[in-house]
Amino acid sequence: MITAGIRDQGLGVSEKELIRCEGVWKIYNEDRPHEVQALADVSLKITEGSFTILGGPSGSGKTTLLALLGTMDRPSRGKIFIGGKDITALSDTALASLRRGSIGFVFQNFNLIPRLSAWENVSAPIVPVESKEKDRRDRAVGLLQKFGLAERASHTPEELSGGEQQRVAIARALVNDPRIIILDEPTSNIDAEATAVLIDILNGLKAEGRTLLVSTHDQVLRPLADAVFELKRGRLSG
Amino acid sequence: MLCLVAILFPFISAIAILEGVKAQSELSVTEGADIFVTMDMFGRNGVIPIEMAAAMEQIDGVTKAVPRAVGRIYIGNKLAVLLGIEGDEKPPSVNFIKGSLPKAEEVVIGKGLAKHLGLDVGDKLNIGTRVVAFLEGEPYIIKKIFRVSGIFDSQSGIWASNLVLMDIYDAVSVFEMDDFATDISLHVRPGYDEAVSKSLQKMNPYFRIQTKGLVKTYIDRGFNMKGGVFAVLYVVAFALTIPAILVTSGFGLSERRKETGILKAAGWQTHEVLEMVFFENIMLALISAPAAFVLSFVWIKLFNAPFIAQIIIPGAESIAAFPVPSKFMPMPFVFSFFFALLLTMAGSIYSTWSAAVVSPVEAMK
Ligand SMILES: Nc1ncnc2c1ncn2[C@@H]1O[C@H](COP(=O)(O)OP(=O)(O)O)[C@@H](O)[C@H]1O
Ligand SMILES: [Mg+2]
Repeated sequence: MITAGIRDQGLGVSEKELIRCEGVWKIYNEDRPHEVQALADVSLKITEGSFTILGGPSGSGKTTLLALLGTMDRPSRGKIFIGGKDITALSDTALASLRRGSIGFVFQNFNLIPRLSAWENVSAPIVPVESKEKDRRDRAVGLLQKFGLAERASHTPEELSGGEQQRVAIARALVNDPRIIILDEPTSNIDAEATAVLIDILNGLKAEGRTLLVSTHDQVLRPLADAVFELKRGRLSG
Repeated sequence: MLCLVAILFPFISAIAILEGVKAQSELSVTEGADIFVTMDMFGRNGVIPIEMAAAMEQIDGVTKAVPRAVGRIYIGNKLAVLLGIEGDEKPPSVNFIKGSLPKAEEVVIGKGLAKHLGLDVGDKLNIGTRVVAFLEGEPYIIKKIFRVSGIFDSQSGIWASNLVLMDIYDAVSVFEMDDFATDISLHVRPGYDEAVSKSLQKMNPYFRIQTKGLVKTYIDRGFNMKGGVFAVLYVVAFALTIPAILVTSGFGLSERRKETGILKAAGWQTHEVLEMVFFENIMLALISAPAAFVLSFVWIKLFNAPFIAQIIIPGAESIAAFPVPSKFMPMPFVFSFFFALLLTMAGSIYSTWSAAVVSPVEAMK
């Protein structure tokens, strides 16, 4: 098992384990033609409140691993624990509840819903739990404001720049106030200026005590990391 | 939604017009006589000697026997229905607004027809009876001249635009039927219908006895037939639109899958996604059904149902312009709501469900 060392930055980062996976495999199209072994025997631990970077070349399995840790998909083999609970044993319903309560996911391509405005996208996760539209709107606009997007609240995604879309996606990931934020290659679809804003946002989230898990294959985010894992053809190395 | 309205609109309009036509013809017939007698001619309705009316009047229970002559005629380039009547036996749903009943070589025409031809009481009218030859390709129609003695109005816009009343003997000569009528209509004392029918059959086994008006048959035959044809066509159209909707919504299929995946990724439960789609569909149906209803109401009442009336009322273009009858009933409305719901559900529930039960990653692929 590979456990990345935690650099104590004097911020009182606890050593409490939040996420752990043990011998996780992911094989797409298993027992079918075009079988792909995306992850092989991956084991790791992530401490609460840490900033973890998942590196590795394209196709190495970063997105796949993030999806598994984010409860978006189930491993083919192995176990994943979140907060001590074996999530591979949970029902779909329980997984959805866990996702809603504890995990915010920012996709590489943001995955905003094109027909909805920025604030509607941000509030989409809480539609089933917050019946009053005004409350949803207030919460969404509050988050957008935090990211300097208050005036963009009623714009649709296609009216926004890549960096702005990403911030809408981050706001959406935060709308349920989750402990864990996962970002898949957040620097890949934005320019340098937006990257600087992103770094500020990530620092802010970390300061709030959230656990951040970020995949990236460039170096700009490395200085923020408490831990770095490298994936190579589906396996963790060094 | 536009798609839904486009499908519902012709349906609602067609039903409303068909109901309107039906209501008008029922009006014309229920007010009329009780029994109609014709002669059997190879199993069809054949002409009946006018003089038989006198004998029929002797039957117990018959209060009146009225010979009538009815048929298609040409007035200018328009088709009309000519009804020959005896004495003051005008159809009850016809109300005189001007002039008097037709005497020899006179006609009474409806308001719509009078307006179309620009005729008033006292004017002369050419009635074409039948095409006897084609001269250089043009039909040569035998014509007779009549004087307009009166103008009537009717609750039935179609009648007011295509019915011409004439003295029975004139009508018989127009139709070249000598002393024959197309039918003899009997007014019967209440409860005597069956007894009268039996007596008639005894009187002459070749009588064809009908309790529905021949006039109605003449005027409405086309409508009803077309109504039936239309209904069949519509069923076919339905059968075609459902897969068409499925295909078109198939274009949104990957979007819907993806959206479902995004919501699931954001923590939505499967049942929450399905409930939302269900609710959206109900809203869509709730909006499109009344929208289609209002649209067809405006289309028919304000614009006199262009395009649609021609399809449903056969020969509508060959009779003088008339206000298209319509009757908006609650059932077609309720039906369109459910139909709209069915269509949207068919187009979305399965695709949503299939995306909602798999993992978010799978759905977003
Ligand atoms: N849904 C899928 N079906 C089949 N193969 C997949 C699927 N998703 C990813 N893969 C394959 O799994 C491997 C890892 O992909 P991915 O996790 O996206 O890598 P990365 O994010 O590091 O670029 C790649 O070979 C990719 O082609
Ligand atoms: Mg990736």
